[in-house]
Amino acid sequence: MQRVFELLKKKEIQLLLLIAFMVILSGGAWALYQTQIPPEQPIQFPHDIHVQLQIQCLYCHPGAQRQASAGLPTQQKCWACHGQLRKYWDPAAPVPLEQWPVELQKLAGYVERNEPIPWVPVYIVPDHVHFNHRPHIAAGFACEQCHGDMSKQKVAELQQTINMGWCITCHQQNSVNDPQKRIKLIDCGTCHY
Amino acid sequence: MASLPKIPEYKAEWAEGEAGRWGIAIDMDLCTGCQACVAACSMENNVPFVGEHDAGYGRQMAWIRVERLWEGEYPEVKATPFQPVMCQQCGAAPCEAVCPVFATVHSQAEQINLQVYNRCVGTRYCANNCPYVARVFNWADYSNYPEPLANQFNPDVTVRRRGVMEKCTFCIQRIHKATDQAKAEGREVRDGEVQPACAQACPADAIVFGRLDDPESKVSKLSKDKRAIKLLEDLGTQPRVTYLKGGYHGNLG
Repeated sequence: MQRVFELLKKKEIQLLLLIAFMVILSGGAWALYQTQIPPEQPIQFPHDIHVQLQIQCLYCHPGAQRQASAGLPTQQKCWACHGQLRKYWDPAAPVPLEQWPVELQKLAGYVERNEPIPWVPVYIVPDHVHFNHRPHIAAGFACEQCHGDMSKQKVAELQQTINMGWCITCHQQNSVNDPQKRIKLIDCGTCHY
Repeated sequence: MASLPKIPEYKAEWAEGEAGRWGIAIDMDLCTGCQACVAACSMENNVPFVGEHDAGYGRQMAWIRVERLWEGEYPEVKATPFQPVMCQQCGAAPCEAVCPVFATVHSQAEQINLQVYNRCVGTRYCANNCPYVARVFNWADYSNYPEPLANQFNPDVTVRRRGVMEKCTFCIQRIHKATDQAKAEGREVRDGEVQPACAQACPADAIVFGRLDDPESKVSKLSKDKRAIKLLEDLGTQPRVTYLKGGYHGNLG
């Protein structure tokens, strides 16, 4: 023990310990930062432009209305519009592919290779949770109540921490006057099975 | 004095003789013991195969088993009819009262017995208290299938990991799907619309699933049949599964 104290008095050892502490701290900070940034997407899809063009959320994510998963669009769905944009396809003066915006070139590449765009889901729940979009849309919830105002976001970001406390709070608030509905909404078996 | 934290209610609120919501009627005179229900249940609910070695230790994980017993002393033995046994979804379940972490709860909405996998810490008290031996325990990560096999998993059901107790859920994912569809169309769930995997696979239609609180449904008529018996009825667990047993299997025994 005595030898450890003597070692600790040395300048070099103190410096070494300080460096080690800084490395661990920055590693922790980096790991924390990694959990807070949106995932890297294959195409930097600008939501804001598309929402400003009055395109409905359900046009590209139609699953929200009829099934559990809202779905992410395939390359065909994107190309249905982008394949006929007059800006690039004007027969009088067609713009060559090399002069298109970079992200659209990527999309054209996926269409040419006929492979689906490997979008990375942003709003995810663990395997033991079964979230269903359909009853939420049927209950009259608007997309932005959970997903935030997409007209102010470019690439999709997580606007709301998805955890059980958040789910249950909303479920309780929406079933204050209906005991029958509350039984269903706070039942474990509604989401966990 | 600071108020004590409120401990959630663990006991199901049940009344004597209450029918329950969902139920199964199994006709033992029709069952041929073909094990199709066992295979279908394992496929639907991501129940893994444990392999020969672990099965030797009694770690099989099937949620439903076809039970067959011998009656009498050898050589005058008589075979009882085949009896598929799954979780009986008791109205007063012995497993619920003993869970220290409230992982086995009674669903108020569907009136069935649930295992909440993310709460379960694997004490196995519930399995020891289950008179029907309906619960199975994940002793190892059996679900770590190599890549092409992992595609067979049903996305509607959790893939359970090691150290978690699990059991028959009456295929609650199918119940949810059907009730959701019925709600969207503004009607009640029709009789026979929901079918758990075992009932769907049964070639003899021996397993009938439906609403017990609807007196017109096929299952509630069958459960009032004069052939109807319940397993270990004297324990007062109020099982939701009814067995129909009438004929004598003379040719088998």
